[in-house]
Amino acid sequence: MREVVIVGGSIAAVTAADALRQQGHDGPITIVSDERHAPYVRPPLSKGMLKGTESVDSVFMAPLRADLDFRPKTRARGLDLGRRRVLLEGGEELPYDGLVVASGARARRLGPPEAGELVVRDLDDALRLREIFATARSVVIVGGGFLGMEIASTARGLGLDVTVVDRDPPLVRQFGAFLAGHMTRAALAAGVRLVRAPEGVRLAGTPATAVLTGEGAPLEADVIVTAAGDLPNVEWLAGSGVGDPGGLLVDERCRVAPGVVAAGDVVARVADHTGLPRRSPHWGSAIDQARAAAQALLKGDEAPEYRPSPYYWTEQWGLDIKICGRILPGCETHVVTGSMEEGSALLQWTRDGATVAAATVNHRMPVVKLRKLAAAPVPERTTG
Amino acid sequence: MRIIVDEARCEGYGFCAEAAPHLLELDDEGELTVLAEQVPEDERANAEAAVRVCPVAALKLAP
Ligand SMILES: Cc1cc2nc3c(=O)[nH]c(=O)nc-3n(C[C@H](O)[C@H](O)[C@H](O)COP(=O)(O)OP(=O)(O)OC[C@H]3O[C@@H](n4cnc5c(N)ncnc54)[C@H](O)[C@@H]3O)c2cc1C
Ligand code: SF4
Repeated sequence: MREVVIVGGSIAAVTAADALRQQGHDGPITIVSDERHAPYVRPPLSKGMLKGTESVDSVFMAPLRADLDFRPKTRARGLDLGRRRVLLEGGEELPYDGLVVASGARARRLGPPEAGELVVRDLDDALRLREIFATARSVVIVGGGFLGMEIASTARGLGLDVTVVDRDPPLVRQFGAFLAGHMTRAALAAGVRLVRAPEGVRLAGTPATAVLTGEGAPLEADVIVTAAGDLPNVEWLAGSGVGDPGGLLVDERCRVAPGVVAAGDVVARVADHTGLPRRSPHWGSAIDQARAAAQALLKGDEAPEYRPSPYYWTEQWGLDIKICGRILPGCETHVVTGSMEEGSALLQWTRDGATVAAATVNHRMPVVKLRKLAAAPVPERTTG
Repeated sequence: MRIIVDEARCEGYGFCAEAAPHLLELDDEGELTVLAEQVPEDERANAEAAVRVCPVAALKLAP
């Protein structure tokens, strides 16, 4: 393996480059990113950075290794698998022996791109919203998932009048009814208005000034933010023969095609329990997949298989929540230590008698231990 | 080279310890411990990788 090209400029790309070097690859590595910024971290963009308690500088990663060729403002627009070339906007072609696709995901928008819809995906989005929040009095957030509720918590902390609208009750899909219920109560106690719109919503105005829910009066606010999920960046792969709209499918070693691997938010894998491809758009998954992908590129079939071990977190309403495993529909919740009322707890989830997930709520514990608890039996007294 | 942990920032996610298991470890309370005061030359790449995977910029390298 000589020349490696990495498409993407975020955590999956950076970790893949580090892992290739750690595993002994000493050939050239070129990273192309269509962003104007050096690599930075996204999790604070809806939390401390948006609130203003974290400086903009603090989101940038430590400088990359000097032996990488990092090219910002460079967009890949095509892939020629047969000739092993990445085609760049502007016409340049980058030959590769090994390619890492780490093009991530983007915010899903409800309207056309020119409508100027506010989202929080990249640093410029967060900087813009931070400035708007500084003078706004009210915000409607479309989407009650992780991101929507984090933005709601931040906006409320800044003193804005906050409404969250979603088809479903907030966070139930991600956290199950028990934990989602607790977080919803925390949001309500903080003064947030929650609106259900089972038929979905439409934005009115360009830029949006109101949200139409299909029933009742339009929801109006100084600011409308869309937090309706994300879509994998696969369009640049069109015509190459790989890349579905639902994500870039990889095998058990994060491989896509000969000489091509992928990692992070762009990736879809067939999940064991459903047989359907799904993405795992979390920080930890991007890191684990990038390490596995780097190994597969260098060692092929000799590389160990990637075994997903989902781990993600959120911070909202003063609750610091870390979760290992997957809270699947139909799970039973067990409070192992502490209690939600006391504001600190350790939780486990079981399904058909088997433990499938564990979480800490304002409770510090080594992640290694939490990972073990995500598969360990639930202590007897807490069952039921 | 030394690794410096900003304890006020560290959230105990542990990504750094996975990147550099010989240098960093989470203790029983979930607090991050630096295992090696001085980073040996052959651990340098791991130390740098550990600093970059932290989502809250809680680690720094000092000469
Ligand atoms: C606001 C926010 C908060 C989050 N909070 C958490 C959290 O608390 N916990 C958690 O676990 N996860 C969180 N996440 C998710 C986490 O940040 C992502 O899983 C992670 O960033 C994925 O990394 P990635 O490298 O795969 O993709 P991305 O971060 O999406 O990066 C992909 C990069 O590739 C570039 N790119 C795309 N297409 C091209 C192209 N054709 N040519 C060149 N470059 C291209 C993009 O511009 C981008 O820079 C959050 C995400 C956001 C947006
Ligand atoms: S990755 Fe960062 S937050 Fe997590 S344990 Fe390491 S230093 Fe602390």
